[in-house]
Amino acid sequence: QKPIVIKFSHVVAENTPKGQMANKFRDLVAERLKGKVEVEVYPNSQLFGDNKVLEAMLLGDVQMAAPSLSKFSRYTKKLQLYDLPFLFENIDAVDRFQHGPAGQKLLQSVSKKGLIGLGYLHNGMKQLTASKPLRVPEDARGLKFRIMSSDVLAAQFKALGAIPLKKPFSEVFTLLQTKAIDGQENTWSNIYSKKFYEVQPYITESNHGVLDYMVVTSQEFWNGLPADIRAEVKSALDEAIAFGNQVAKEKAKSDKQKIIDSKRCTLIELTPAERAQWVEVMRPVWKKFERQIGKDLIDAAYASNQAK
Amino acid sequence: MTTVGLFALLFICMLLGMPIALALGLSSITTILLFSNDSLASIALKLFESLSEHYTLLAIPFFILSSAFLSTGGVAKRIIRFALSVVGHIRGGIAMASVMACMIFAAVSGSSPATVAAIGTIVITGMVRAGYPESFAAGVITNAGTLGILIPPSIVMLVYAAATEVSAARMFMAGFIPGLMMGLILMVAIYIAARIKKIPSQPWAGFREVFIAGGSAFGGLMLIIIVLGSIYGGVASPTEAAAVSAVYAFAIAVFGYRDMGPLKNVPWRLESESVGTAILRNTGQIIKALPKCVTDKDVNKVLLDASKVSIMLLFIIANAMLFAHVLTSERIPHHLAELIVSWGLSPWMFLVVVNLLLLAAGNFMEPSAILLIMAPILFPIAMKLGIDPIHLGIIMVVNMEIGMLTPPVGLNLFVTAGITGHSIGWVIRAAAPWLILLLFFLIIITYVPQVSLFLPEFLDKLHGY
Amino acid sequence: MFLRILNRTEEAIICLLLVLTTLLVFADVVMRFGFNSGFMWTQELTLHMSAWFVLFGASYGIKVGSHIGMDAFVKLFPPLGRRILTAIGCLLGLLYCGLVLYGSWIYLAKVKKIGIELEDLPIPAWIAHGMLIVGFTFLSIRILLLLRDVIIGRADGFRHADEAKESMEIVEELSKEEGLK
Ligand code: NA
Ligand code: NA
Repeated sequence: QKPIVIKFSHVVAENTPKGQMANKFRDLVAERLKGKVEVEVYPNSQLFGDNKVLEAMLLGDVQMAAPSLSKFSRYTKKLQLYDLPFLFENIDAVDRFQHGPAGQKLLQSVSKKGLIGLGYLHNGMKQLTASKPLRVPEDARGLKFRIMSSDVLAAQFKALGAIPLKKPFSEVFTLLQTKAIDGQENTWSNIYSKKFYEVQPYITESNHGVLDYMVVTSQEFWNGLPADIRAEVKSALDEAIAFGNQVAKEKAKSDKQKIIDSKRCTLIELTPAERAQWVEVMRPVWKKFERQIGKDLIDAAYASNQAK
Repeated sequence: MTTVGLFALLFICMLLGMPIALALGLSSITTILLFSNDSLASIALKLFESLSEHYTLLAIPFFILSSAFLSTGGVAKRIIRFALSVVGHIRGGIAMASVMACMIFAAVSGSSPATVAAIGTIVITGMVRAGYPESFAAGVITNAGTLGILIPPSIVMLVYAAATEVSAARMFMAGFIPGLMMGLILMVAIYIAARIKKIPSQPWAGFREVFIAGGSAFGGLMLIIIVLGSIYGGVASPTEAAAVSAVYAFAIAVFGYRDMGPLKNVPWRLESESVGTAILRNTGQIIKALPKCVTDKDVNKVLLDASKVSIMLLFIIANAMLFAHVLTSERIPHHLAELIVSWGLSPWMFLVVVNLLLLAAGNFMEPSAILLIMAPILFPIAMKLGIDPIHLGIIMVVNMEIGMLTPPVGLNLFVTAGITGHSIGWVIRAAAPWLILLLFFLIIITYVPQVSLFLPEFLDKLHGY
Repeated sequence: MFLRILNRTEEAIICLLLVLTTLLVFADVVMRFGFNSGFMWTQELTLHMSAWFVLFGASYGIKVGSHIGMDAFVKLFPPLGRRILTAIGCLLGLLYCGLVLYGSWIYLAKVKKIGIELEDLPIPAWIAHGMLIVGFTFLSIRILLLLRDVIIGRADGFRHADEAKESMEIVEELSKEEGLK
């Protein structure tokens, strides 16, 4: 009997946390479900880009993917929660929320469209990079920032009086290099791997938001798996995700250090007073999306900042 | 098995004379139906993704549109006059000027056949009149025209950038020095040949002529500044610069030079007209002419021609991506890469294989299609061997240049045959001696990566990275 | 008369899509560089218009014979042989269109059933991607017409124009002006 094939499609290189997580998952499944299930990993958008992979999944041609949470806006508005600025203090708060009941329930928010969230994977906390030093919100006024397609992120930069621009990832480096765009927000690992630190002289360590992924599959595929195999696959995935998250945390640290060591850009650390100003300017964004996301969810997420 | 089936089907379809796009599409879909579990629905989805998710590829229709306006707008004539005024007095100068004209035109246009057509038409006849053998003239231009894809901007480089996610701007920069070098090699060869064949030169027309000719060609030359300036000056990305250049080419052809469109033959300044009234009159006329462009015959023809070529290219590209998708989901590049890696080739030997493969493909296929099929296979292997992606790109582009000169499918050969009215066989013989230069050049490009990498790396250093 | 209006409309739509796509990207640059602002929806619209442009224009390419192909092999045969080979090519082309149409239908039905919109534009995805059906239907019709012409002996190939031939028109024009040749 032929093994069940899980095509795992993602858009990043194999040495990234996501790439390593996918490969770990492949290896664990090969070890534990030999002959029954086989995972094929397709990195670097070889199979589908993030915009189309979910459609391909619903058609049954891809079984697993891990798009960034902002990419789900066409499927649910609830996940916009993760884009809200200054909602989580740090990545541990994100962890607490995701493992709590509200975070787990949120995995089901895409089920109406035929998808199932299987778990969250970190990339890390986002920092601001720019062609000029950003210490207080006023510094960002009038600057052009590249963002992913997300209403929340657009509102966040508009709150600063800055101009959010949507540009394909492939063009960002050139636009930053030539200063056609003034800045962008991203995690330490993306700033390092995409070499943005080479073309952006200033990085503000703002930790103002989180960039996470959701590992998804289609209900049709998942519910069609024999129960015992499903449980095995899920436990292998959970283990792989835990491993990926560990890699992500270490990578955030080491990539930050590599950026500092490169001496190609200046790191700006905010004083508590300066950070409070950013929070004050950006937090009104929450109110705008309260109806779409749900106030209870926002409260639950905010509460996770208090370690139990 | 799958690989054999896929390529056999593609080959049969192409032999039947089917449009390449349909041949690529059909062989991909049939392979999927026969050998894999993927659904037809996901193929439709992939086809739409190929057409709608590649922002970089948008530069192709934009550059084609801008080239179309320039070619019909008489810009080529002005560029030739300028080139002639600069190097026309050197022995073999008209031929050298023609090469220079090709280089300048290449710096505003992204296509090789367009370069041959725009420059060749005028200069081949001109050279024959000045006492050059016709085969000499035709051979030089057919070769120099290939610079269209080596000197930026270049449609072929954009295709490579899209296929491998290498930065298009860096590719453009990397093509600059090789382009100048190839132009110089051609000029030196011409000078030597002209000495041997005792070909006459033109008298030096003086700096006045250089300035006048330069001024008259200024509108066209500005495009180089606009394209390269806006990319490196922080105004726009390559794709956006292409759109800007299309809009500019339209404006300069219709309102500037007025060789076409609603203002055709309307002078900027009438006799006995004061500057003030001329400005007023022209402003009024341009405002009135703008809506007329919608129904203008010349403008519509340029638009439709550019559309035809763009659709043809983009449709091939979309189907070639489908083809590449089949290759990937069947893990063919993966296996092929493992095979080649297992041969234990050194990078040196691998590049020989790459060149032979591409030269063979260049005999039969159109550059964009070759790149889209070959790049996904060769790129990962090259990365494993530590070859620079930009260097690999330039090697591929030079191979594509040669492909334009080799029968049976060689676009530049067709154009020159059309211009001169001679047979393809005659053109092949005329171009052959110069083709050898190009092969020699390919060897330099392949084994001296610094030629391609110097400028992008130097610019990076200049910026302190 | 009716046919002429139809032809003109087709050409106008093709040109309009190209012009609008170009102008949208141009406007993006002007807005960003000149006015320090930008729109969130232009990129998605641009990309979709360029997809519509190609899908809608592909069949026109068959009509005017602008799709590049390799006709060296077919040219080796006498006219009847050419017609037979081209007819086979047409049938294979129709098979391709049929398969894509079938796949598109399932895909669009699925997207419509899930009910998703585009990312930045409030347009249902199945409508935006519906050009797949329109384009490939027209493409099938044009290939059928070509097949008819091949059968009754009015055509013996896909009538390949190519980039070379396109460029030749420039040549003719320039020679006319120059009074050369
Ligand atoms: Na060029
Ligand atoms: Na060739």
